[in-house]
Amino acid sequence: MREPTPPEQDTLRPHTFDGIQEYDKRLPNWWLVTLYATIIFWVGYWFYYERAHIGPTNSAAVEQQLAVIEADRLAAAPSLDDASLWKMSRNPVFVDAGRATFETTCASCHTKELTGAIGPNLVDHLWIHGGRPTELYATVTNGVLAKGMPPWGPVLGSKKISEAVAYVLSHHREGEPIEVQAAWVPPPPK
Amino acid sequence: MAAPLPTRDSVTTIREDGSRPFLFPADTHGRFTLARRVSAVLLIGFYLSLPWIQVGGYPAVFLDIAERRFHLFGLTLAAQDMWLLFFVITGLGFSLFFVTALFGRIWCGWACPHTVFLDQVYRRIERLIDGDAVSRRALDAAPFTGLKILRRTVKHGLYVLVSAVIAHLFLAYFVSLPEVWKMVSAAPAEHWSAFAFMAVYTGGLYFNFGWFREQLCIVICPYGRLQSALIDDNSLVIGYDTARGEPRMTLAEERQRNAAHLLAGLPAGTLAKAGDCVACSRCVHVCPTGIDIRQGLQMECVGCTACIDACDDVMTRLHRPRGLIRYDSQAGFSGRATRWLRPRTALYGVLLLAGASVATWALSTVRPANLGVTRIIGAPYIVSSDFVRNQFLVRLVNKRNQPVQFVLRLEHAPAGLRQTGLLEPVAVSALGEVVQPLVLQQPRGLYHGPFALTVRISDAADSFHLSRQIEFLGPDVRLLREEEEEQREPHAPGR
Repeated sequence: MREPTPPEQDTLRPHTFDGIQEYDKRLPNWWLVTLYATIIFWVGYWFYYERAHIGPTNSAAVEQQLAVIEADRLAAAPSLDDASLWKMSRNPVFVDAGRATFETTCASCHTKELTGAIGPNLVDHLWIHGGRPTELYATVTNGVLAKGMPPWGPVLGSKKISEAVAYVLSHHREGEPIEVQAAWVPPPPK
Repeated sequence: MAAPLPTRDSVTTIREDGSRPFLFPADTHGRFTLARRVSAVLLIGFYLSLPWIQVGGYPAVFLDIAERRFHLFGLTLAAQDMWLLFFVITGLGFSLFFVTALFGRIWCGWACPHTVFLDQVYRRIERLIDGDAVSRRALDAAPFTGLKILRRTVKHGLYVLVSAVIAHLFLAYFVSLPEVWKMVSAAPAEHWSAFAFMAVYTGGLYFNFGWFREQLCIVICPYGRLQSALIDDNSLVIGYDTARGEPRMTLAEERQRNAAHLLAGLPAGTLAKAGDCVACSRCVHVCPTGIDIRQGLQMECVGCTACIDACDDVMTRLHRPRGLIRYDSQAGFSGRATRWLRPRTALYGVLLLAGASVATWALSTVRPANLGVTRIIGAPYIVSSDFVRNQFLVRLVNKRNQPVQFVLRLEHAPAGLRQTGLLEPVAVSALGEVVQPLVLQQPRGLYHGPFALTVRISDAADSFHLSRQIEFLGPDVRLLREEEEEQREPHAPGR
């Protein structure tokens, strides 16, 4: 262990601020260890990501995570076709869950009886944007922005939407006629 | 062999070659040591018991990050109340300024978790296993023999154990005790992130309290560095009464000097009085940051009061008044009176008071629910043959741990406005969230341009309410009338 240098023999840094000068002392070793450790880490990091490209780039990492989310979503969403939606519409568990969603979310425009008010009637055979189950599903998910039907996909998610569609379909039978309606005319205000 | 006294030109705990001399501060006994021990035990008890105490069905402090619900002594805050953090942070800042201006670094010595846990837990363990400062120094210099290895193993084992306990209780602040217990009982692989957090945190505590110690206060903590900016001549600090203590000399030196004076035949009254400091260096030996307080206020001083007790002890034995090292202001040490009321303390006090008042008011506006009203995606308004229509999504958040019936009402709505959706009370489960559409229609005839209205929700008993102003949008009323005219005209006869 070296004796401390007497102050008068200490080296001074050349700069002066407001008459204040500082000694040129050694940094604590533990502090230097952290500095050298980060330098060594940087070399490894730089080699791993920037030189050898073993690690993914930032954008690749993001893409990868997005793909995971997309895969999860695809796995969660049932593969919907007309037949499976019709099947759901005959399942009481599905229909009950769909009723709950319909009454809190859809009924404010389509009414609880589905006979239509602001939005069109859903129990007659007239359909504006397609009456097949998958068309119904698409209309609910994507909305009809020009007419005020919001896209419910981001709000409700595919599970609740398929339940609500099943609930609407429970008022219909497979094979019944589908007629095209040009536009919905709301009933006169009471 | 007298060790060289610390100097103000370099840090005691950093040698010329950058290595770190480990300090072995000696024990102290006395009123401050006792008072600090009592307050520290109370503080540790308080911090460690918070997750165990139940207030309103939740632990007294439970920062549930996963569910974004923050339970504080019965008050539940949601992520939407995050703005209150502003008051917490500024409040901490102003309290720190205010307290420091008055009492110096009283926080460091008495309340900082670093000091409290280091002095009252880890140093106690060290004292128990390794003995007093002299034995610790000797043991440190001794070669690694069986006994030393055993002592080191036991000491570091206890350090790790205590660190693990503190880390677990700290985690309980964020996930609650039953959850911690569940994780402890299960295999690490089942929740490796919590396990890794725990391992890193335990390791950090062990490193900090086992080895790093005063380096944190001297090199890392910014508070000590702000000392010179936050205090002035009238702030209370721990200091050495130079006027009373100097010229310092040991008792032997004093006797020698007195004898020489008398031998020279000089009258007794002409001898300049020796100072009260007997240069025993106890104040240096007990200092946990390795400074000599007699060289004045230094950045390293954490205000731990060890030197006060050490010096008082010596002074008492010599039948001299204690307080050679004491709590006083720089003004006090130079013989002037300490001014407590000064522009700095008054300003900090007023700012603190103002902040506290606003924070109290802000806290009183926190409701056990949250209301959000946003326009539904798509056209901002829709004009049908009879109505102008606006569509909103209403988000109701229940922050209580019991179901609530929310009642929605429209206020300041113009005549004729029709509401569909949310007409009936909406039940929201405990800590639940509900999103429902709210459709507003204004008959064309009663539409006179865009207007504002208020959405108000309350519980069924109206024990609290929340309001949001919304904007009902629509076309320029002249355009609407023109369109109506055009539609009427083709049918007008005689054109």
